[in-house]
Amino acid sequence: MFQIDVTGEFAAFFIFSAIMICGAVLMISLVKVVHMLLSMAAVFLGLAGMFVLLEAEFVAFVQVLIYAGAVSILMIFGIMMTNHQHVEREKAKPLHEALAAVAALCLFGFIFYAIRSTTFPEPGPFDAGEDNTMAIGELLYTGYVIPFELLSVLLTVAFIGAILLARKEAE
Amino acid sequence: MDMYTKAAWIVPLLPLAAFLVLTALGRGSRRAGAVFGSLFSLAALVLSLLIVAERLEPDAVDYSYAFDWIRAGDFTLRIGFEVTNLTAMMLAVVTLVSFLVNVYSAGYMKNDERITVYYGYVSLFTFSMLGLVLSDNLLSLYIFWELVGVCSFLLVGFWYAKPKAKAAAKKAFIVTRIGDAGLLIGIMLLFWYMPDHALDFTTIQSVFDGQSGAITTGITTLIALCIFLGAVGKSGQFPLHVWLPDAMEGPTPISALIHAATMVAAGVFLIARTYDIFQDSAAAMETVAYVGGFTALFAATIALVQQDIKRILAYSTVSQLGYMIMALGLGSLTGGIFHLFTHAFFKALLFLGAGSIIHAVHTQNIKEMGGLGTRMKLTAWTFAIGALALSGIPPFSGFWSKDLILTAAYESNPLLFFVGLAAAFCTALYMTRLFILVFMGKPGAASAAAHEAPRSMTVPLVALAVPAAIAGFVETPWNGWFGSWLSGHQEPAHGSAAAIIASIAVSVLGLYVGWLVYGRRSIGRITLAERSPWLYKLLERGYFVDELYAAAVVKPIKLAGQLLILFDEFIVGGLVRAAGAATSSAGRLAARLQNGQTQTYGLAAVIGLVILVAALVGRRFLP
Amino acid sequence: MLPSYLTLAAILFCIGLYGALVKRNAVIVLLSLELMLNAVNLNLVAFSKYGVVPSLTGQIFSLFTITVAAAEAAIGVAILIALFRLRGTVKIDEFDEMRR
Repeated sequence: MFQIDVTGEFAAFFIFSAIMICGAVLMISLVKVVHMLLSMAAVFLGLAGMFVLLEAEFVAFVQVLIYAGAVSILMIFGIMMTNHQHVEREKAKPLHEALAAVAALCLFGFIFYAIRSTTFPEPGPFDAGEDNTMAIGELLYTGYVIPFELLSVLLTVAFIGAILLARKEAE
Repeated sequence: MDMYTKAAWIVPLLPLAAFLVLTALGRGSRRAGAVFGSLFSLAALVLSLLIVAERLEPDAVDYSYAFDWIRAGDFTLRIGFEVTNLTAMMLAVVTLVSFLVNVYSAGYMKNDERITVYYGYVSLFTFSMLGLVLSDNLLSLYIFWELVGVCSFLLVGFWYAKPKAKAAAKKAFIVTRIGDAGLLIGIMLLFWYMPDHALDFTTIQSVFDGQSGAITTGITTLIALCIFLGAVGKSGQFPLHVWLPDAMEGPTPISALIHAATMVAAGVFLIARTYDIFQDSAAAMETVAYVGGFTALFAATIALVQQDIKRILAYSTVSQLGYMIMALGLGSLTGGIFHLFTHAFFKALLFLGAGSIIHAVHTQNIKEMGGLGTRMKLTAWTFAIGALALSGIPPFSGFWSKDLILTAAYESNPLLFFVGLAAAFCTALYMTRLFILVFMGKPGAASAAAHEAPRSMTVPLVALAVPAAIAGFVETPWNGWFGSWLSGHQEPAHGSAAAIIASIAVSVLGLYVGWLVYGRRSIGRITLAERSPWLYKLLERGYFVDELYAAAVVKPIKLAGQLLILFDEFIVGGLVRAAGAATSSAGRLAARLQNGQTQTYGLAAVIGLVILVAALVGRRFLP
Repeated sequence: MLPSYLTLAAILFCIGLYGALVKRNAVIVLLSLELMLNAVNLNLVAFSKYGVVPSLTGQIFSLFTITVAAAEAAIGVAILIALFRLRGTVKIDEFDEMRR
């Protein structure tokens, strides 16, 4: 079942996944909010590494830029502007947390069972393009131009909305 | 030449229109009731009289019109109307009395707050009664039969603030309901056994008339007795007569219209309509005759000692209806219908007269009246005509019809002849007592301030006094015109001198004895009460029939009802409460989930997802 | 290799789910949501390489997802700031407006 055959990809995958799982678990278990955020940044960076492994250089670049950069900074601002001294206190609702843990574990069990019991066919050859960025760019401006444009509108609307929501009410 | 006959369906629609208009007006306009009610019933009266005029022509044939109402499989129910000489006569009687009562009520009910509602009910009743008369089949007759029952209920309980009126309305409805159930069973039996399930009177007539043998004698008797049970309930025959005296709690014009002239005669009319069924069964005819005869004498003896003017007249109505039923049972259709015809006039007249008296003295107890003859001359004279007609004194109308019945009894059943004579004697006696106590002698406690009723009330009295006096001449021992007209073939006039003499003799004797006891007082009027108080008591309470029913029927039913209430309270109610408690506790449990926190909702959704997936995945492991 | 990537994504997704259901600081809940979205992205990109018909479409889709996630984060933080201004807290269990 587990035919471990140690290649460079496997080693890199192992390291990155270790970083990510550690980061995620730390995010759940740490006490100070800022620490949680930092561990989350490690997850984001690990994921970028995964993308590189999967021959998706442009997505990895975007991941670093947007997540490790923009979203993390945004969250830090969020924490700063709200209650940065916040400390997770004692568990107020043990039943709730236990149920959530059981549910999450069960869900994971089902997904794991599904993955394990599925026979994935041998993948065909993957061509990430000579220049991944250029290939993606071409696709975006040909086949996916309409979703792309729609997405740009969505982003504009979202950011205008965010500004409106967050600004102080005029006196 | 039958233009008006073909338009007979309009007659019941006129009071229906009045009812709809008055209902739409509500209580707003007080004068509208009298105006609309009287106008529409006048129109109906005119049309009915035109129809009768058409029917009087010698070559008039019965007219009926029907259309398909319900088709179910190969069975078609047709509904429509039929005009025969009998229905034409009933139309005229009903519309005439209805019109006069409408006019009379304008005065009698003048100060009532709900006068518009009252007129609406009266119009609805007139519509139902006319529909009943015109029905061409038993099913639509039954519908109208129930409708008149409802109107009777509404009008008896019209002053529903009075507990007695409320109780009387309930009693009238429930007791007649027993008879109605019988009628319904009879109709169902007919439906079952008739060829093609036909229920219209024409087919019934041909099936039972032709001796076709389609229905055995036993079934015929059963059907006839079931229908007769309906008539017993509606026409207040023993043993279902108990509702009629109590129904006098309603307004007096209503007593005249519904409980004297029209609705209570519906039972007699029903038997006349289905007379062929009865004629096929000797046993049924005998039952009808004996029930009628017994009721006639039974009610007449009760009327002798009553003290409430309206109750006397009510028992008298029961007694006279008994006469009609007896006549039908003796095979004299003409006698029964003829008495119905004359009785409608003189009994409506008597009730309206009683209403005029009550209007003047504000009491119904005849012991408190007296000496009213001088103060209310018109009422006294018209009342006297009605009383003489009822007592069977020639030449007033009641004499001729009663004489016809007694002749029929004399010829076929001596026992019933003597019963009829005894009842006639009692009738004359109690009418004399009533008249003397009310109109003669010294003024009583309540009659000091009495005065004649307004014009709107006296005119109907005069209008009714005329037919009450002379309507009898359509059928006399030497002239069988009415019977011939009614049956459609020449009927010989017949009279027997012995019956006539006996009839006149007992009536005059009744008058004379009444005069001796209450007028000259040569016989002490309290003798009966003193000598045999138990007999007096027995008569006064109507042979304790009410008390008997209370003990034998009402109490056990109430007891069973209480047991059922316990059952309902603890077992059914317990189950219901348990179900309610289970639901509400489940709701409380679920409400705790509704704590408004997103994460709880999310958790519930995830658990749901897990369960769903588990169910889907789990199927794989099942054998 | 595909099952390994998928398993990793499942682990991350479930951790994110647990965090979103349990954490009391609203900012961290948002962060957990981002984690779940990232797990999905990993799936998309992994299928784009190891799927039956490998193509760049998976990567394109992950780009779209990242964009939407960015918009979501921005709106989310904006809402949190507005809420904080209104109620003086970002503890998610103190918001029970849905109950009323």
